[in-house]
Amino acid sequence: MNTEKYEVFIGLEIHIHLKTESKMFCSCRARYGDDPNTNVCPVCLGYPGTLPQVNKKAMELGYLVARALGCRLSMRTGFARKNYFYPDMPKNYQISQFENPVGVEGLMKADLGESGTRDIRIHDVHLEEDAGKMIHAGDVTLLDFNRAGYPLLEIVTEPDLKSGEETEAFLRDFQRLVRYLGVSDGNMDEGSMKCDANISINLRGKGLGTKVEIKNMNSPRFVRLAMNYEAERQAGVLDSGGELVQETRLWNENRDITETMRRKEAADDYRYFPEPDIPPFEPDEAFLSRVEQRMVELPLAKKRRLTAEYDITPEQAEFIHDEAGTAALFEEAVSLGAKARTIAAWLSSDIRKVLNRQGIALTESPLNAARLAELIGLIDEGLISGKIAKNVLDEVFARNEDPKKIVEDEGWSQITDPKILTEAIRVVFASHPDVVEAVRNGEAKQRGWLMGQIMKATDGKASPDIAGRILDEELKG
Amino acid sequence: MPVYAEDWRGVLADPALCKIYADGVEKIDERIGSFLSFNAADSESAIGGKGSLDGIPVAVKDNIAVKGRPLTCGSKILENLIAPYTATAVERLQAAGASVVGKTNLDEFGMGSSTEHSALGKTVNPWDFDRVPGGSSGGSAAAVAAGLVPLALGSDTGGSVRQPASFCGIYGLKPTYGTVSRYGLTAYASSLEVIGAMSADIDLLQKAFTVMSAGKDERDQSSVDSDPPGSGEKRIKVLDIPEGVLDSAVAEAYADAAKALSEAGYTVESFALPSYDLVVPAYYTIATAEASANLARFNGIRYGYAPDYAENPVELMKLARHEGFGDEVKLRILLGTYVLRSGFQDQYYGRAQKVRTLIRKQLADLFQSADLLLMPVFPTQAFLYGDDGMDDYRQRVADVFTCLANLAGLPALSVPTGLSKGLPTGIQLMAPAFAEERLFAAARSLSKIYMPQLAPCALNPRSFS
Amino acid sequence: MARAQDEWSLTAELARLKLDETEALRLADEAEKMRELFQTMSRADVEGLEPTTHALVRENRIREDDVSGFDHVGDLLDASPETEDEFFLIPNVL
Repeated sequence: MNTEKYEVFIGLEIHIHLKTESKMFCSCRARYGDDPNTNVCPVCLGYPGTLPQVNKKAMELGYLVARALGCRLSMRTGFARKNYFYPDMPKNYQISQFENPVGVEGLMKADLGESGTRDIRIHDVHLEEDAGKMIHAGDVTLLDFNRAGYPLLEIVTEPDLKSGEETEAFLRDFQRLVRYLGVSDGNMDEGSMKCDANISINLRGKGLGTKVEIKNMNSPRFVRLAMNYEAERQAGVLDSGGELVQETRLWNENRDITETMRRKEAADDYRYFPEPDIPPFEPDEAFLSRVEQRMVELPLAKKRRLTAEYDITPEQAEFIHDEAGTAALFEEAVSLGAKARTIAAWLSSDIRKVLNRQGIALTESPLNAARLAELIGLIDEGLISGKIAKNVLDEVFARNEDPKKIVEDEGWSQITDPKILTEAIRVVFASHPDVVEAVRNGEAKQRGWLMGQIMKATDGKASPDIAGRILDEELKG
Repeated sequence: MPVYAEDWRGVLADPALCKIYADGVEKIDERIGSFLSFNAADSESAIGGKGSLDGIPVAVKDNIAVKGRPLTCGSKILENLIAPYTATAVERLQAAGASVVGKTNLDEFGMGSSTEHSALGKTVNPWDFDRVPGGSSGGSAAAVAAGLVPLALGSDTGGSVRQPASFCGIYGLKPTYGTVSRYGLTAYASSLEVIGAMSADIDLLQKAFTVMSAGKDERDQSSVDSDPPGSGEKRIKVLDIPEGVLDSAVAEAYADAAKALSEAGYTVESFALPSYDLVVPAYYTIATAEASANLARFNGIRYGYAPDYAENPVELMKLARHEGFGDEVKLRILLGTYVLRSGFQDQYYGRAQKVRTLIRKQLADLFQSADLLLMPVFPTQAFLYGDDGMDDYRQRVADVFTCLANLAGLPALSVPTGLSKGLPTGIQLMAPAFAEERLFAAARSLSKIYMPQLAPCALNPRSFS
Repeated sequence: MARAQDEWSLTAELARLKLDETEALRLADEAEKMRELFQTMSRADVEGLEPTTHALVRENRIREDDVSGFDHVGDLLDASPETEDEFFLIPNVL
């Protein structure tokens, strides 16, 4: 696509499942993976006579996200019915928000990779309920309503993103944000986060073009591919003198293309009106202060502060801030006296490898700040070598024990006693007089071989520093 | 001869008396048709405690959920549905000692003023079997008037408790919106309706109301704690009715009631409602709009009627609704969908909500200098079945006096005022929010002149033993 | 009139109401009558009035995020016209 000629406008509609114990409007358990149609009740199955009961935590988390995105918070929020028929939607209307969503007109500061940091405008943040799940099986469809009524938060951005790459970077920042806030897992592949996009292109300077909605993108990477594909496709249509139609297209991840799902029809009319079963909600001071208490330092701010405050590389900061738990562990370990750069190095290399190998998150692992600081302390004090330290780390994960205890139990501490080391060196000298002679005659290379023999003789536990010093003294004779 | 609550205590607890009772109901209801289902000995309904309603059998309109009993709403689409839970209002009555004995007929989903729109049975007026019992809670009103129960629950969206109560010669209370939980009431127009009660015994009616309105319900977030404004100063304003609107019997009863209240120590003044002509259009716009969404859930998938065969889900839903809903329901869904459509919404639904504000303001102004309002219930007495009766359009327009209270969320009580030409007449009293106490007090004043009575065919519990 | 008829059929489609021809005509006729009645609201002076969306609002109502399952889930599945194992069943979307 000719980027001189065309400008791309991408806006997102992001849905996240909120982390609550119960559903949005009833007390059924909100949990994945249970047997079909077990987390259901008359309310979420839309039985006659039942009424919605708003979940307080969902409301708090909704306000929290709106607050974190810098939205103007609604001082009188309300629900509305969005009317359309669909077999997986029990009431055939969705309780959503329309006129008074929890927040409007926000800004999310995002690190968009090569484009740098930019503010993406947030149109609104609103609460709603999820529908059930349809499983197509031959000529029938099976319905599971466990997910029906699950609390959803929809975040709608303005069309401020300019490319697939920017969109992917934005989504990753957004995922990090909701995880930091603890409001959602934000996993697109597991379905706890969904993202639809609208994209239009136009001649540069001419404003928005004809909007096309893209659905069915199940990872930030697919969103990037779909946006780039779609921008090319639209440019192609315009270049060949064609006209774009307002439509909904699906991303086909097997063929890496978008395909028409349906054209916009006159019969699409959601007939929104205020939900009479739910009175408006006016957040009071106590509510807002609970929201404020849930507020945390946001990822981008944290990354900047870590880089500024500690002596670490940008790459290390990138890795450390990715998960709030990692950053917290990092800062705690620093406060316990370990050197920032050393902690960062451990976190972004060896620890990361173990975590990847075991497929667990740092916060769920046996490693904590105290243990990491202790491990680094053992190295700094010369009690273990860097090489032994890696074994100790493995054992911390395997046994869930403190590094000191592991080193003691295994007898892994280094030999620093000059007497023992001198004795060991003399034994090596006695066994290899020819080599000793060669080194004394200037064959410096062979010194390393002697060190190796000393290590061998001490089961690798000789302190390299001290042993090296004694070796040099002994060589001088 | 009036029948009091006391006469019923002990009937249900004694298997022999209970059998006599059930047989009596069966015999009379063969002709009246008030119940869609009846089971006096069902243990589920007898759960309960002891309290002010000990041993009182109660009939429940069949759009209110009672666990283990049918919940048909008078519709083919729910003909086979058994309620999996119990409405809060019913639970509270049970906890106070009352027992549900049966579910009563109604206009399908509460949409009608005659019970002619039930898909599942015909209910006649116990005073004249050629006439309608009123509606939509016609079955409940008929059951009370025929002495089959001393107390019945109905629901009142635009007059559906008060009008049938009046047609059958008993009291019908529409409480302040939100004082009685709607949890378990099949929704027709959520912002307008409330569960109400009917009885020929004003004390029993008040007890039932007190029990049902004892605090807001966690399951109905639109419910509220009652906040009574005090008993007031006995100032009544009487609505001016243009000549020719009321049948002569109704007009006469209306004038007599005003006189009777004046004699009972009330100061009586007249008033006109400036937005009188807007009441019915606003009411039906809002009611049908809400109904169009409330009834969308009935689609033949999770419960209820489904067609024998459908090729795809859309056809399944359409056929279930086509074959399952009656004409009046379809009409109201159609209208409600229309007034919400984009392009029309501002002009119809949006405007109706503003008119609603206007009407509420006018009523609030009236209550600045009045403690109660007196109005007719309906322009006619119970009308005849079929073509000699009243067509659907006229029935809807005739809701004007009753649906006013629903638009404003205010409490109102229809009070029987004796017989004219062998048929009951009645009037309606309306009070400010939470001032139900004033309604009961005024009704007691009138009961000294018009002693409520049951229909000649009525069952009498004193005859059981 | 034909235009009005079309509006009502489109409305019926939105409401998933299938109407046969005579039914459609009768209902459209009755609906037109009601629509004309609704139209009389255009005369009302509602300038500056807020809409009434809820009959009575007194305080915030909100539920604690506690789980309490429903005891008779099996009954809910049994109430369905069509099921397969633990699923509700409908014809496929095709």
